[in-house]
Amino acid sequence: MQLDFSMMVQYLPYLFRSLRVTLELTAASLLLGMVISIPLSLIKMSRIRAIRAIGSFYTSIFRGVPLLVQVFIVYFGLPWVVEGLEFTAFQAGCITFAFNSAAYISESLRGGIMAVDVGQREAAMALGIPYGKMMKDIIFPQAIKSVMPSLVNEFISLMKNTTLISTIGLVDVLRAAQMIVNDTFRAFEPLITAAAFYYVLVMAISALGKQLERWVNKSDQR
Amino acid sequence: MISVEHVSKNFKKLEVLQDVSLTIGDGEVVAIIGPSGSGKSTLLRCINLLEKPDAGHIYVDGIDVTDPKTNIQQVRQKVGMVFQHFNLFPHMTVLRNLTYALVNVRGMAQKEAEQKCLALLEQVGLADKANVYPATLSGGQKQRAAIARTLAMDPEAILFDEPTSALDPEMVKEVLRVIQNLAGTGITMALVTHEMGFAREVADRICFLDEGRLIEDAPPDVFFSTPKSDRARQFLEKVL
Repeated sequence: MQLDFSMMVQYLPYLFRSLRVTLELTAASLLLGMVISIPLSLIKMSRIRAIRAIGSFYTSIFRGVPLLVQVFIVYFGLPWVVEGLEFTAFQAGCITFAFNSAAYISESLRGGIMAVDVGQREAAMALGIPYGKMMKDIIFPQAIKSVMPSLVNEFISLMKNTTLISTIGLVDVLRAAQMIVNDTFRAFEPLITAAAFYYVLVMAISALGKQLERWVNKSDQR
Repeated sequence: MISVEHVSKNFKKLEVLQDVSLTIGDGEVVAIIGPSGSGKSTLLRCINLLEKPDAGHIYVDGIDVTDPKTNIQQVRQKVGMVFQHFNLFPHMTVLRNLTYALVNVRGMAQKEAEQKCLALLEQVGLADKANVYPATLSGGQKQRAAIARTLAMDPEAILFDEPTSALDPEMVKEVLRVIQNLAGTGITMALVTHEMGFAREVADRICFLDEGRLIEDAPPDVFFSTPKSDRARQFLEKVL
């Protein structure tokens, strides 16, 4: 079998359009996921056991059910029970991936917050700083240091997980590659090209993550 | 100013404080000493409610801090605390460590807060360190910055929790000098310390705690020359 990557050139604009979908879906899901993870991590650290239980139940659901099943439930299942509710494939993906990664991000955020020296909290309390400001300005900025590496990991796996969206018809990079397969009757070149796209993306995210880590640690330098 | 009445505190089964009562008048400097594990730090931390007493009452300026209805944040702004391990905010410059609460809790304008805090840094000999991060400071410098941070809130009283215990020996003096300069300025001070010479020099009264009980409460010259209890005598023999 003769390999011919030159035939991929004509599909590059198409692939780049699909790349934009993958990127937008990843970014939107990550941002929404981070926003959800903050209150979720605070719930998991509540002094009240019942509230903590809600937090761990949330995480156990998203950990315990396969992501593809979650996507199907949100896209096909929910509109069926809730009248008038309808999601585009992008919305369904974004919601599922965001709530899913919030489950994981909130775990590492909780770990990061607990790892901040208790003296920081006490110093803030002794200065009369109220809880919200203490969390936002004193505790979170320090917690984010230890959370950053796992946040980058979550970013990467989220990006790779967005390929599941191709199953409900959104044209992301994987789906685009499949269309090219249908179009050309050649399976290897389109899929390898898609793989290369993802690989480069992951490398870029890790490089970005390294920069971010250096940036959040700048106050440690002597 | 500060009145501790019949305070008890347990950690699980361990009785850390047992029926402790003491008063600290306005502008008074009280040194709290005793063997480790005697409850000195816990007593201090009860005053600004970093620990919640199990029994008894603590009044600051007539306000019962143990009353759940009390706005503890307001009391804490009046009663500053200096910690053994400084607890500076590592992600903020020294100046911002000082200005943060003034601006974000008191609502002071940034400019005004900076001016005030630069003057305080000057006072503790750290004027040139305003814009560096705490990680670049020595232990003594960190503690002086932490004292300045407490002073920035214009506290009526300051609680010192072993302020020199985590320092290298050669840095103890510079911190003690700053504390000494505060004594007699009208600020009420409660000082948990192992520096007996210093306690004798700056304190108006010595409170000796042992196994969670306040055993002696006397002026320094009386306490150090003629301690009443055997426990205090044994303690002094070991440390002096």
